Amino acid sequence: MVDDDESVRRALGRLLKSAGYAAETFASAEDYLAREIFEGPICLVLDVRMPGLKGPALQEALEEHGACEQIVFITGHGDVPTATRAMKKGAVDFLTKPFDDEELIEAVKRALERSKEQLRKRRERREARRRIEKLTPREFEVLSFVVMGLLNKQIAAELHTAEKTIKVHRGRVMRKLGATSVPDLVHFSQRAGVSPARKPA
Amino acid sequence: MREGAYFFAHERQRIGEMKTLATPLGLAGPGSRSTTERSGAQFFDRRVAGVALSVALAYYLGAKIGFALTFQPHPVSVLWPPNSILLAALLLTPVRVWWVILLAAFPAHLAVQLQSNVPPMMILCWFISNACEALIGAGCVRYLIDRPVRFDRLRNVGIFCFFAAFLAPLLSSFLDSAFVAINRFGQDSYWQVWRIRFTSNILASLTLVPFIVTWSGDGIAWLGKIRRARILEAGLLLIGLLSINTIVFYKLAPTADSALLYLPLPFLIWAAVRFGSRGASAAICALTLLAIWSAGHGYGPFSTRSAEENALSIQMFLIVMSVPLLLLAGVIEERSKGETTLREREERISLAAESANLAFWSINFERRESWMSDKGRAIFNFGPDEHLSRELFLSRVHPEDRNAVGEAIERARASSQTFEFEYRLLRPDGGTRWLISRGRYLSNDRGGIRELIGVAIDITAQVEADLQLRLQREEMARMSRVSSMGELTASLAHELNQPLTAIASNAAAGRRLLAEGTPDLEMFEELLADVSSDARRAGDIIHGIHHFVRKSEGRRCPVNLNEIVQEVLRLLHSDLLGRATAVETQLAPNLPAVDANPVQLQQVLLNLLTNSLEAMQSTPIGRRRIVISTKCDDTSSVLVSVCDSGGGLPKEDLDKVFTHFYSTKPNGMGMGLTIVRSIVEAHGGKLNAENSDEGARFFFRLPVKPKSETPEVT
Repeated sequence: MVDDDESVRRALGRLLKSAGYAAETFASAEDYLAREIFEGPICLVLDVRMPGLKGPALQEALEEHGACEQIVFITGHGDVPTATRAMKKGAVDFLTKPFDDEELIEAVKRALERSKEQLRKRRERREARRRIEKLTPREFEVLSFVVMGLLNKQIAAELHTAEKTIKVHRGRVMRKLGATSVPDLVHFSQRAGVSPARKPA
Repeated sequence: MREGAYFFAHERQRIGEMKTLATPLGLAGPGSRSTTERSGAQFFDRRVAGVALSVALAYYLGAKIGFALTFQPHPVSVLWPPNSILLAALLLTPVRVWWVILLAAFPAHLAVQLQSNVPPMMILCWFISNACEALIGAGCVRYLIDRPVRFDRLRNVGIFCFFAAFLAPLLSSFLDSAFVAINRFGQDSYWQVWRIRFTSNILASLTLVPFIVTWSGDGIAWLGKIRRARILEAGLLLIGLLSINTIVFYKLAPTADSALLYLPLPFLIWAAVRFGSRGASAAICALTLLAIWSAGHGYGPFSTRSAEENALSIQMFLIVMSVPLLLLAGVIEERSKGETTLREREERISLAAESANLAFWSINFERRESWMSDKGRAIFNFGPDEHLSRELFLSRVHPEDRNAVGEAIERARASSQTFEFEYRLLRPDGGTRWLISRGRYLSNDRGGIRELIGVAIDITAQVEADLQLRLQREEMARMSRVSSMGELTASLAHELNQPLTAIASNAAAGRRLLAEGTPDLEMFEELLADVSSDARRAGDIIHGIHHFVRKSEGRRCPVNLNEIVQEVLRLLHSDLLGRATAVETQLAPNLPAVDANPVQLQQVLLNLLTNSLEAMQSTPIGRRRIVISTKCDDTSSVLVSVCDSGGGLPKEDLDKVFTHFYSTKPNGMGMGLTIVRSIVEAHGGKLNAENSDEGARFFFRLPVKPKSETPEVT
């Protein structure tokens, strides 16, 4: 959690620990950015008004880096425009001080779940990409057409080769990606972000 | 005449040569490039030649007429026109061409005189004396009257009569007589010659010069412009004048009553009054020619005695008739021109008045007349013929301003001075207009009041713009008061929220730790220490309000609380209207001043009033009512109270109102009254609340500023 007020920081740290979370506190947004990378679900409890980098600015900076932190904003006086903007940008909650402890813990719980989910997706995506990278360019072409929904015969016509050859390529693709069916293959490509019938850059 | 024409042609050639010579001297000449100089050259070529030719012609004919109008048997010329023709020509032409006129007249003179066997020396001498007369007359008149010479002013006619018609013949006649004596021409004595020439030249100047001057130039054009009725009138006048002249000077027996000589007078006056100098000069000319011709042929009243006597008496008669008529015509024209100028000026003024929303007016007390410009009558809603008076004017003035305006007028009248005042007009449609009136009393010779003149300016637009500006300024002041209050509460809220959050979170953490059943005592101690330090911190912030108030205090000065109440009511005007709340003020007169910061007191009242307004949100609209009163119940303090009809405060909360965070409003922070109390207490006063019959009453006392204290000490 990031808050410039020390007593608030200490009290919230204590509260989160009492709720069973591993809480780490930072006095400023800059301190948070300078921390060691933690590979796991993160909920960031973030004060809006701070000296230096403000809460919403940190939110933007993290989003640019594609970080997996989920943010719960806390503020001394909640104004509607700031809250709306923060929520639109994907904040989990926006709490006005002083808030109820249940409220905060509930929000933190939701944030961690969301963060976990995001991490999982990311891992899958990374795995899918890793496997796709193992394909030869010809195999990748075949995959793209398969994902488009083309039959072997059609793909052969498209690539000016024999249907038999395509069958072989397709078998290799399935094996390399660990897929057992065409829907499986489509699902895998989507996870990896491969658009149909387009070569990777 | 042929001789004259020949001479003139020769003369032209010479002029041409002289022009060539004159060019290096900067005078106009042929071949000059600039337009003015070229037109000057053309002027010499055409117009001057034309004028010179007609002067020569007229001079010759004039002399012939002069010979024709002699009284036989002894040839005495009663009227000698050539000199007058020369004079008229000089009056009508620029001075720089005079020498051309004189040169042109000389051959004509020569041609006439040679026919009557006059020795050449005498011819030359006569020309010199005639030229002298014309030059003296034209020179004086030209010097005294700005061009062009007209007979439309009394002054001009007077100058002409004295210098051209009297002085010039008088002086030149001495010369003329001397020439006659030196040349031993004729048998008459010096003084006889002098007298005959003097009188005949006066008559000629008086009768012919005005006629020529007024009718040449634009005279003919003027005839074309006049209306048909005027032409008919002129015709009637001409017929009447000619027939009465014929009767008097031709048909009448020489022995008839001499009073009948004045019969033409009404017609002459008619001509002068109705047709100005043109009519008068033409009528005089006709009278003169007819009278002299008749007398010369032995008819009428001037044919009874010897030629000299007849000539003298007819000359005297005609001179005496002409001078007053010419003067009368001059006066008449001057007056009508003055009237035209006045009318034009009035039109210009009324145009200015209309475009500038001005009302011009005047009241003449001696003549019991009044006038006001049309625009003014429209502004004041006066009828077109309504006589102006103070009563009428005051009846239009707004009743609230009527007394003040009446007094201002009375003061100005008493001191006969200029006055100026601003007031409102009440229009029949109920609207008001703002006006400024400036006026002046004019006194007569006896020191009494003759006339009252003035102007009124409609300044409504200006006043309304000023009012608008003031309202805007007040709105801005109100906004800044309200927002500074809002800022104060917002910043306090933020400050307070930090320790409160910490306390709440610590408490929650403690509860959870206890619930888990594994209390870490060391941690608990830390937690509780944090809670108490945060609680202290919150307390410090609250106390800091006093500090905050004092910091934004600024300079204190003697303040009249009644004025503060009025200002705040003005600031809240639109809110009060918007919330349909009636406000009653019970302000004590002669309230002693308190030593305070006016802005902070405004904040106090604004806050109390805003509280009252919000407390009455659920009160039915007809019963929303605020009473603000100021009182001075003892000599040492002033009491201000704000009373609403919003149902009052819950009884058990009366003592809690001023504690922090107390609020009956769902979104209230509970800070407003705390700040109000801080301000009042900073001023050495005390704020209280109580319930009245219908609602709550907030009141505070502030100590009166001791009189002995000087502002420096405070």
